[in-house]
Amino acid sequence: MNGVIRSFLRYLVRRKSLSVLQLLGIAFGVAAAVGMTLASRSALQSLGSAVDFLKGGTTHTIARPAGPMEEGLLTGLMDDPAVKYFAPVIDRKVRLEGNEQVRMLGVDPFLDKDVRTITAQIAASASKNARDEAFSSFLFDPEAVLVDENIAKELNLSPGSTFKTTQGSLRVVHVFPNPSGEPLIIIDIGHAQEFFRMRGYIDRADLVVTDEDAFRGRWGTGFTIESNTQRAQTLSALLGAFKLNLQALSLLALFVGVFLIYNTAMFAVVSRRRDAGILLAIGASRGQVTGAFLMEVLLLGVAGGALGGILGYLLSKFLVQIVGSSISTLYFFLKPSALPWSFWNLAGGMFLGCAASIVGCLAPLLELRRVQPVHVLRGRTATRGASRRMKIIALSGTFCIALALTLFGFSFLQVYVGFAGAFAFLLGASLFAGFVIILLVPVMKDLFSYGMGLAGRIAIGNIRENLGRTSVAVAAFMIALSMSIGLGSMIDSFRESLLWWMNSQLRGDLYISTKADVNVPEELYEELKKLPGIGGIDVFRNVPITFRGKPASITSIDASVLQRYDRFGWLEGSDASWEAVKEGGVIVSESFSRRFDVKAGSRITIETASGPAELSVGAVFYDYASEHGVIMMDRSTYLRLFHDRTINSLGIFIDEGTPGKATIIEEVKRRARDRGLPFSSREDFHKRILDIFDSTFAVTRSMRVLAVIVAFFGIAGALMTLFVERQKEFGIYRALGFTTADVARMTVAESLGLGLISFLMSIVVGTVFAFVLIKVINLQSFNWTIFYHFTARPYLVTALTALAASVAACAYPVWSVIRKYPVMQIREE
Amino acid sequence: MASSVIRTYDLWKQYEDEGHDGMALRGIDLDIKKGEIIALFGKSGSGKTTLLNLLAGLDQPTRGRVEIDSEDLGALGEKGRTLLRRHKLGFVFQFFNLLPTLTAAENVLLALELSGRTDERLAFESLALVGLAGKERRFPHELSGGEQQRVAIARAVVKKPPIILADEPTGNLDSVTGVQILDLLTSRCRDAGTTLIMVSHALNTCEYADRILRMSDGRIFEETLCEGLAP
Repeated sequence: MNGVIRSFLRYLVRRKSLSVLQLLGIAFGVAAAVGMTLASRSALQSLGSAVDFLKGGTTHTIARPAGPMEEGLLTGLMDDPAVKYFAPVIDRKVRLEGNEQVRMLGVDPFLDKDVRTITAQIAASASKNARDEAFSSFLFDPEAVLVDENIAKELNLSPGSTFKTTQGSLRVVHVFPNPSGEPLIIIDIGHAQEFFRMRGYIDRADLVVTDEDAFRGRWGTGFTIESNTQRAQTLSALLGAFKLNLQALSLLALFVGVFLIYNTAMFAVVSRRRDAGILLAIGASRGQVTGAFLMEVLLLGVAGGALGGILGYLLSKFLVQIVGSSISTLYFFLKPSALPWSFWNLAGGMFLGCAASIVGCLAPLLELRRVQPVHVLRGRTATRGASRRMKIIALSGTFCIALALTLFGFSFLQVYVGFAGAFAFLLGASLFAGFVIILLVPVMKDLFSYGMGLAGRIAIGNIRENLGRTSVAVAAFMIALSMSIGLGSMIDSFRESLLWWMNSQLRGDLYISTKADVNVPEELYEELKKLPGIGGIDVFRNVPITFRGKPASITSIDASVLQRYDRFGWLEGSDASWEAVKEGGVIVSESFSRRFDVKAGSRITIETASGPAELSVGAVFYDYASEHGVIMMDRSTYLRLFHDRTINSLGIFIDEGTPGKATIIEEVKRRARDRGLPFSSREDFHKRILDIFDSTFAVTRSMRVLAVIVAFFGIAGALMTLFVERQKEFGIYRALGFTTADVARMTVAESLGLGLISFLMSIVVGTVFAFVLIKVINLQSFNWTIFYHFTARPYLVTALTALAASVAACAYPVWSVIRKYPVMQIREE
Repeated sequence: MASSVIRTYDLWKQYEDEGHDGMALRGIDLDIKKGEIIALFGKSGSGKTTLLNLLAGLDQPTRGRVEIDSEDLGALGEKGRTLLRRHKLGFVFQFFNLLPTLTAAENVLLALELSGRTDERLAFESLALVGLAGKERRFPHELSGGEQQRVAIARAVVKKPPIILADEPTGNLDSVTGVQILDLLTSRCRDAGTTLIMVSHALNTCEYADRILRMSDGRIFEETLCEGLAP
């Protein structure tokens, strides 16, 4: 091996502990990106297989724009020349006794086997006798169902077993294989109509269409026809913002990883300056020196990346559960399973580690290329030069931040522009690290001198003297802590905004059922209306629609009741806007308004059961129910347009001061209970929403933790490097009479000093980052406004994190001091 | 008459961060013949190391010209000056400046590799010549100061360069070891006909030198005696 390369690479072996720290830092950074990518891909793959599994051989679906479809229309489909096969479907959710929600498909086995292979396979899989018995039960027993192997395994079910749901018991007659992973129960469609109280109706018909254009020509008005491609696109679009933010989170973690590589490379440059000077003096070219250095960094990057690929795969197994749970909670069923191990995980990790190394070491490489042998061989420290350099770097940071502000200004064009701005901001802020150290050191010297005596004072001086290393370590740690504060503040602000929204829009005393549960029979609504003491009942119905080719939803409510009892937050309009709603107009949510550029006073056209209908938009309200947007209308308008009398839930309002309010509520509960309907108080309802909210940020919290772990390795690496390269200095301390405890205290003080500077910077940077997330990223991704609320928790958590990481980072260097200091002498290398 | 191997013409060097007016060299004119051994004295800050760095092409003069073997260093460019250091210059530093991750033999071999001759045998021979036979596989931190400087000398002489620049080669050694190093360095150079320029504070360097030069405030003066030259 070339001597120049050998002289650089041997440092990796000579400074094993440092190399290991650096390797682990890169590995964790790559692991975060790989793990998130695999989890996201797993979710999409599961979505694809679930869609494929269920669609079978169908080509299209037909449904009403909102609400169920009359089963009488099936006759028309049967007679349509473009329809080769059709199968009516009821597609709902049922809540099991353990509170898990499972998809239930109601199918006609005679028609369904022509369009869906699962029903054909089910019939084929059993023996003839068993098949006949199972088939017979399936047709005639209203409790008979088929369950997939996943549910059967989870609930320990086999043919003949019964299990309970919130709407009654069900009996398993057959267990079928389900490669999609989505839990599924299949029931005869007639029994499903009874089970879901929708006699005479179906949700949709799945079709095999031979002439799409002709079919659309005949059925286009009053119906929504979707091809399978469109359906898959719609489902994917539903996940759009979610996927985007998963990507951004993984990129953020990788950004910290790249920073760590930059960290590592800068340390190496500072360490290698002397070696570089020697090599240049004896005739090596700059290209040879930078080439050897690049090889050292790449080796770490590739090795760290490979380890990161493996760790990322293991992490994905954990993340995929969280991602699947979040998607299922927010959007639709999805139970993804982790992707199998593949060589590409390793290769991908190595590529990522390599790429991150190249990006991370560019600036250090340029720095090394500019090394002047004259200066380094003079043997003098260039303290003055370092200060000037830090000021120049801080100036570059200013330009970066200016760029970030410009990008934020244009983020309305494309959300990626906002993300680029966020990264530019973090990078720009990190470039101020050295400058901030120079500013803070005088004050910190006094503080640490007061707290830790001479050791503390010297420690802070060391941070200043080794600016080339410490500024980079502080920058990396600060980025991670800022992410912690920024994400924490954003989440807390979101939570507060959500609380405000719930207290303004969900003010019922009791809620019977929810969109996710069984429908409420209209008789109960009529019955409760007559109950003395009831102030008002909001009749809630929510249906997904496609608006201008994108997913959205329609919500029908009782405008009079909400006008009286709720206090909507208005982006445009006011409480007076309810009058327009009562007269047939609509109000739209902020997300809808931003996504489709619809303002108060606009007119929108939606597909209804009778064809397109134009509606006037009276106001725009703040809403967090759906990032895809909501069109809200009075129930009378909804019934007129869609003829759908389904009620998803009832909100019961009782005036304050009504005598016997508690008794009235109990009576309502009793009547709901008698009909097997779930109910919850306002507090419980709000709590459930908050629980969902908290669970959906599990991924974000994981990434925060990973980013801090990565940055921890940066601090630890910095301290180890400082220890390793100051052996001569330690010899001087020993000669002067410093004890081992003094030097150990000095090492701890250096670590705490680095942590403190990082934390102080992160307070400012993290707060700004929170604003960026709230005002730019969230707004562009989800199209809703989050109101910034200051909470101390993110700052306290981050402070504790900084403290813990600083203490942990100095553990090994302190142990090295205790072991080696007693024998250190002043000597040249 | 021996030909000139090093010539400088009205050499000036100004640094922004040195001295009250930053002028390290003021119009140095030098003519050094092939095979000469020069001792260069001067107080700290007189410009000795600056002169060596300019002669080695590691730095650029503010004004003036340096010729090595009749080649103008200024006209060579970075690549040309690198090749010069590879093939025509050997360097011995005060603080040895061995690469810590390479063994003694590897440090010497590195100089050969850079000059295009990868011959481990030559490296071993060179170490033997400086009295380090049997210590080829030791790392610098496993050698004494004197041994490290011997390795540095071996590294400098192994490629048989026409010129060796030594910046206070005994500055970091005790007097006994220092004499040994001076003996070694000058004898190797005389044997090979190598021109040697030694910057030094040690008066005994004079005994080995053909010419004695003194630098003061960036100017150079020819001396005949060493008395009064110690700092």
